[in-house]
Amino acid sequence: MARPDGIAAAGFAALGAYLIVSGGGFPAGAGGLPGAGFFPRTIGALMAAMALGLLFQSRRRGRDAGFAFANAPQTAGAAAMLFLYLALWGTGFFPLRTVLFLTLFLRFLGQRRRSAAGAALVLTALVTAAFRYGLNVSLE
Amino acid sequence: MSAELLAGLTAVLDWEVLGFLTAGVTLGAIFGALPGLTATMGVAVLTPLTFWVSAEQGLAMLLGIYCGAIPAGGIPAILINVPGTPASIATSWDGYALARRGRAGLALGVNALMSAVGQLTSILFLALLAFPIAEFALQFGPAEYFGLAIFGISLMAGISRGRVLKGLLAGTLGLALALVGLDPMTAYPRYTFGMSEFLDGISFVPVMIGLFGLAEVLAQISERHEVRSLPAGALGRILPRRSEWKQMLPSMMSGAGLGAIVGAIPASGGDIGSVIAWEQARRISPDKEEFGKGSLRGLAASCAACNGAIGGAMTTMLTLGIPGDAVSAILIGALLIHGIQPGPLLFQNHRAFVFSIVFLLVFASLAIMAVGLVGAKPLAGILRIPAPWLWAGIVLFGTVGAYALNNAVADIWVMFAAGIAGFLFRKAQIPLGPLVLGLILGPMMEANLRRALIIARGDWAGILSRPIPLFFLTASVLLPILPLLRAKLFKRGA
Repeated sequence: MARPDGIAAAGFAALGAYLIVSGGGFPAGAGGLPGAGFFPRTIGALMAAMALGLLFQSRRRGRDAGFAFANAPQTAGAAAMLFLYLALWGTGFFPLRTVLFLTLFLRFLGQRRRSAAGAALVLTALVTAAFRYGLNVSLE
Repeated sequence: MSAELLAGLTAVLDWEVLGFLTAGVTLGAIFGALPGLTATMGVAVLTPLTFWVSAEQGLAMLLGIYCGAIPAGGIPAILINVPGTPASIATSWDGYALARRGRAGLALGVNALMSAVGQLTSILFLALLAFPIAEFALQFGPAEYFGLAIFGISLMAGISRGRVLKGLLAGTLGLALALVGLDPMTAYPRYTFGMSEFLDGISFVPVMIGLFGLAEVLAQISERHEVRSLPAGALGRILPRRSEWKQMLPSMMSGAGLGAIVGAIPASGGDIGSVIAWEQARRISPDKEEFGKGSLRGLAASCAACNGAIGGAMTTMLTLGIPGDAVSAILIGALLIHGIQPGPLLFQNHRAFVFSIVFLLVFASLAIMAVGLVGAKPLAGILRIPAPWLWAGIVLFGTVGAYALNNAVADIWVMFAAGIAGFLFRKAQIPLGPLVLGLILGPMMEANLRRALIIARGDWAGILSRPIPLFFLTASVLLPILPLLRAKLFKRGA
C-alpha cells in the first residue's frame, strides 16, 4: 500500500536538495549582502529539514491509510484525455476539436451518446462565444 | 474624503458595472448552489473573463461571484445535506434538520437574510477598520513587510488543523514556485529553463485554476461523486415571523461579528468562522439541545458567520496585501493584473477605488439576498444538472481561461501540472492554502528582506531588533508550535 506521507516527504526532500544545489550556482551578492541564490538555498534547506520531520513523523505513526483511489482508472483516463486535448492545442479547428474532446470525455464518464454530444455542443458554443467573440481571444 | 466617497459611488452606479455585478452574483449563486463548485473555483475559473474590462467592472463581477457563492452554498446544505461550499458546513447541521421537518422554505429564507446581515456587518467592519489599519501599515518599511509575510505563512500553517508540518511544507513549496523568473534585485533569471514565458514568473491565475478547478474535478471523479436527489414537496413559508426574528437576533449578531473577526485572520475563512459562531451560539443559547436538530439560532449564527468572513478577509487583503482566504488570494492576482497593488498605499493613492469596493460589496449583498429570497426554488432546481456536465464545463472554461490570459500555451500546461499536483496533494491531505499564500507572498518576502538588508548594510540584528518585525517573527515561530504543545499537554492531562 502506498504511504502518502512518506512519498510526499521524499518528494519535498528531493526538491529541497535540488534548490540547495541549484541555488549555489547563482551569482553571490556584493558587499556581504545576499545574492540571487540566497533565497533558493534557504527555502531548500527549510523544505528538506521539514520533509525529514514529516518522514520521521510518518515512520513513528506506522502504516497510514494510503492513497484513497476509489475510481483510479476513470480519474487517470480523464486526466489522460485532457492531456491529449492540450497536446493537440493549436491544431485544427477549435470548435470541432473541443466538441470531439468533450463528447468523448462525457461518454467516458458514463453519459449517454446524445446527452454527451448535446452538452459538448452547448459548452463549446458558450466558451467560443465568451472568449472568441466576446473577448476577441484567438483560440486557434 | 467625501469627494472620493462620491467618486467611488459614481463609479459603481455605472450601468455596465452594475451589469457585471449582477452577472457575477448570478454566476456565484449557481457556483455556490452546486455541490463541488466552490466560490474559489468560480472566481479562479472566471477571472480571465475580466481581464478585458476595466478594474471596476472586473472586480464587480468577481466580488459578485464571491458574495453570491457563499450564501448559495447554503441551499444544497439545507435541501440535501451537502454543503455547496466549505463555508456552509455548519449551515447543514440545522438547515437540513429544518428541511426534514418540512420547513425547507423557512431555512432557505433565514439563510438568505442572515447571509445579507453577515455580509453587511462585515462590510461595516471593513469600512470602519480598513482606513486606520492602512494608516498604521503605512509606517511599515521593508523589514516590517518581510516579518508580515513570514507571519502570514506561519499563521496559515498553524491553522492547518492537525497538519502543521504539511501546511508549512506546502507554504515553502509556494515560496519555491515564486522563485521562478527574474531575481527581484539583480534580474538574474532563475529556474526558467531557458523559456521566455517564465521570465515574469509562473502565472498565478493558471495555478489557481489548476489547484482549485481541475484538481477538484479529478478529486470528484475519483470519489465517484453521486448525483443527488432533491426532497419532494413544497418549500413552504420563506420569511421568518417577528418572534423568530427576536429569537435569532443574538446569535445573528454574534455570528456576524465573529465571522468578520475570524475572516480577517489570514487563511481562516468562513468555514472556520461559521463553526466557531455555531458553537458560541450553542453555548449562550437557552435551548442547547435543539442545536443540530433544526435550531433557528444555530442556523442564523452559522449563516451570518460564514458570510461575515467576507468583509474580514477583504479588510486584511486590501489593507495589508495579505489574503484572508483563498478567494481573496485570487482577487489579489486579479487586481495586480489590473495594475492595482493591494496594501496600505491603495488607501493613499486610490481612495475612491477603495470606496467603490465597499459599495460593490454592499450592492452584491443586497442582490444576493433578493436572489436568495426570490430565486430559491429555481436555484434548487439546478441541483439536478448531472455532475459530469459540470466537470466538463469547469475543465473547458479553466483551460481556455488559462490560455486566454497571455495567449500562451505554457499557461495551460502550468494549469494542468497544478491540477495534477493539487489532486495528489488532496489525496495526501496536504493543504493547498499555504501553497497559494507562499506563491503570493514569496516575491514580497524576498524583495523586502533584501531591501531591508541593503538599508541596514547587511546587519541582520538591525532588522530583527525593530519592534514590529520582531513581533511578527516571534509570533511566526510560536503559532505553529502552540497547537502541538496544546495537544501534548492535553494528552498528558488525559
